[in-house]
Amino acid sequence: MVEVRGITKRYGPHVAVNDVGFSIGKGEIVGFLGPNGAGKSTTMNILTGYLSTTEGEVTIDGMPILEYPEDIKRKLGYLPENPPLYVDMTVTEYLKFVAQIKGVAKKTVPSRIAEVLETVKITDVRKRLIKNLSKGYKQRVGLAQALIGDPEILIFDEPTSGLDPKQIIEIRDLIRKLGENHTVILSSHILHEVSAICRRVMIMNLGRIVADGNPDTLAIQHSPTGQLIVTVLGEGEKARATLADVAGVTRVTDRATEETGAVEFVLDTDGDVRPKVFEAMSSAKLTLIQMRVNTMSLEELFLQLTSGEQEVPA
Amino acid sequence: MIAVFKRELKSYFLTPLGYTFMGLFLLIAGFFFSYGNLLPRSPRYAQFFGNILFIYLIAVPLLTMRLLSDERRLKTDQLLLTSPIKVSGIVLGKYLAAFSVFLITLAVTVMYAVLVGIHGDLAVAETIGAYLGFVLLGACFISVGTFISAVTENQVTSAFFTFFALLFIWLIDLVRQIVPMDLTSGLIFAAVAVVAITVYFYMNTRNLVVAAAALLIGAGAVTATFFLRQEFFLGIMSDVLDWLSLLARFGSFSLGILEFSTVVYYVSFTTVFLYLTVQVIEKRRWA
Ligand SMILES: Nc1ncnc2c1ncn2[C@@H]1O[C@H](COP(=O)(O)OP(=O)(O)OP(=O)(O)O)[C@@H](O)[C@H]1O
Ligand SMILES: [Mg+2]
Repeated sequence: MVEVRGITKRYGPHVAVNDVGFSIGKGEIVGFLGPNGAGKSTTMNILTGYLSTTEGEVTIDGMPILEYPEDIKRKLGYLPENPPLYVDMTVTEYLKFVAQIKGVAKKTVPSRIAEVLETVKITDVRKRLIKNLSKGYKQRVGLAQALIGDPEILIFDEPTSGLDPKQIIEIRDLIRKLGENHTVILSSHILHEVSAICRRVMIMNLGRIVADGNPDTLAIQHSPTGQLIVTVLGEGEKARATLADVAGVTRVTDRATEETGAVEFVLDTDGDVRPKVFEAMSSAKLTLIQMRVNTMSLEELFLQLTSGEQEVPA
Repeated sequence: MIAVFKRELKSYFLTPLGYTFMGLFLLIAGFFFSYGNLLPRSPRYAQFFGNILFIYLIAVPLLTMRLLSDERRLKTDQLLLTSPIKVSGIVLGKYLAAFSVFLITLAVTVMYAVLVGIHGDLAVAETIGAYLGFVLLGACFISVGTFISAVTENQVTSAFFTFFALLFIWLIDLVRQIVPMDLTSGLIFAAVAVVAITVYFYMNTRNLVVAAAALLIGAGAVTATFFLRQEFFLGIMSDVLDWLSLLARFGSFSLGILEFSTVVYYVSFTTVFLYLTVQVIEKRRWA
């Protein structure tokens, strides 16, 4: 549905987005995760046709965005980092204006506004001037604005930033619900937010996508290959010797365990040695009670992928 | 376009800006009407417009300063530009809103004409001509202001530059008389223009090849013209300035003469500036 091929955005010598490519299918909920200046907003601005690329192309349903801007923009609802609000208008006036420019059929505008107000739960403030609303409510008006044209694809840039914890939870629930019948692309700095809402996460750093996958399995895929954690009942010395003899095991290190009567080792290995370890243990009559690949958490992965390097000044 | 127009028109009166413009305009107009027509009991109403032309210098920057600059500052341009409407529709809607505020204000002054008509001998043809000319001139100035508000991000800068742009147009006829007419200065002027265009291309594309191509084509054109039609460079500066000379063309209107070519000129001038405004906004995405 959304195809991004090799997009690069340069500001003079500074590269904000560097050769980014991905494709997003219908109904996916995808999160862009990355530190400040990673290029998340720039990527979203390109996806929505607000910015053009220096190189590369975005197509939506097979249509390049620059050739069919109007057809594509009709399919998109966008909540930018700063909600684009005309603060001198009331909520209803504003949404009416947005409905008109999004091409909502005239006679359905009032019902559409009522529906969206209900969805984002701001019906009670609909007659208030936007400038007098709290930050959380302004954000909701921003969401309403993205929804009003009934687009298939929703793009939210940091939808929960600056909100209080209660609002954050409500907005997340709302996005999850919207994800049931929309394609949703959102961005965030917050890891557990992305892993709570999205079934797919793309980690961005310095303009590149450095990891892309399911938040539950992504960390495993990126874990250092070849470390195995083995827990054995009983005699430590014998177990260690047996493990060291297994072909493909290059190093055996002790590891603390809470299991009583058991010892635990970290094996540095060459390739997948799990079957061999299992056989060696059983022929040595040792009881193997646990064996797992050493993984990092998503948190650790995120820090590893994005640490060390600071935002490159523009 | 209609939605943008309506919102913009309304926003003029949701903020003090619309009222400030109207108040200022009517204050100056009223003052000059009182001193020019009312007190001397003069029925020469068309002259009134000649007297208040300078009103544009102050009023237009006020009218157009936040038209497009504020959209950028408040980031609401992200809403407009990611909606299924054309940039030309946005610009036209905004322009027409500013123009309408101007027309509404000017409509109040029709009262003056009626007053003159009741108490004296109003030269109807002259008056209509003067109104038409004044409106067309306003259309041109507002298009310049619209363009400048698209290239600035701050309303104060926008107003400031608009004022100076209009002042320049004001003084153009004076400048025209002092620019050199000889071949050398014509050539220098052409060369500077080519370089300026090259720089513009480079700033927009950040592509040396495109810029070099523009430079070569420009230099080629200048050289070719030099050998084929040298006289082209004589007075080229004055010709270019003449193209921008809006006020010189106003005179005939207040005499009640309706010159079709002048109407076309004013309309084209406005169209060019609105076109440039659209281009600036479209091109910014490529920056
Ligand atoms: N108009 C611009 N001119 C120059 N550089 C820019 C411009 N816009 C963005 N950048 C640079 O591009 C890089 C990516 O910015 P972007 O806003 O996409 O990051 P982000 O991931 O959204 O960050 P944040 O989490 O802070 O919102 C940054 O280094 C930024 O300084
Ligand atoms: Mg951002």
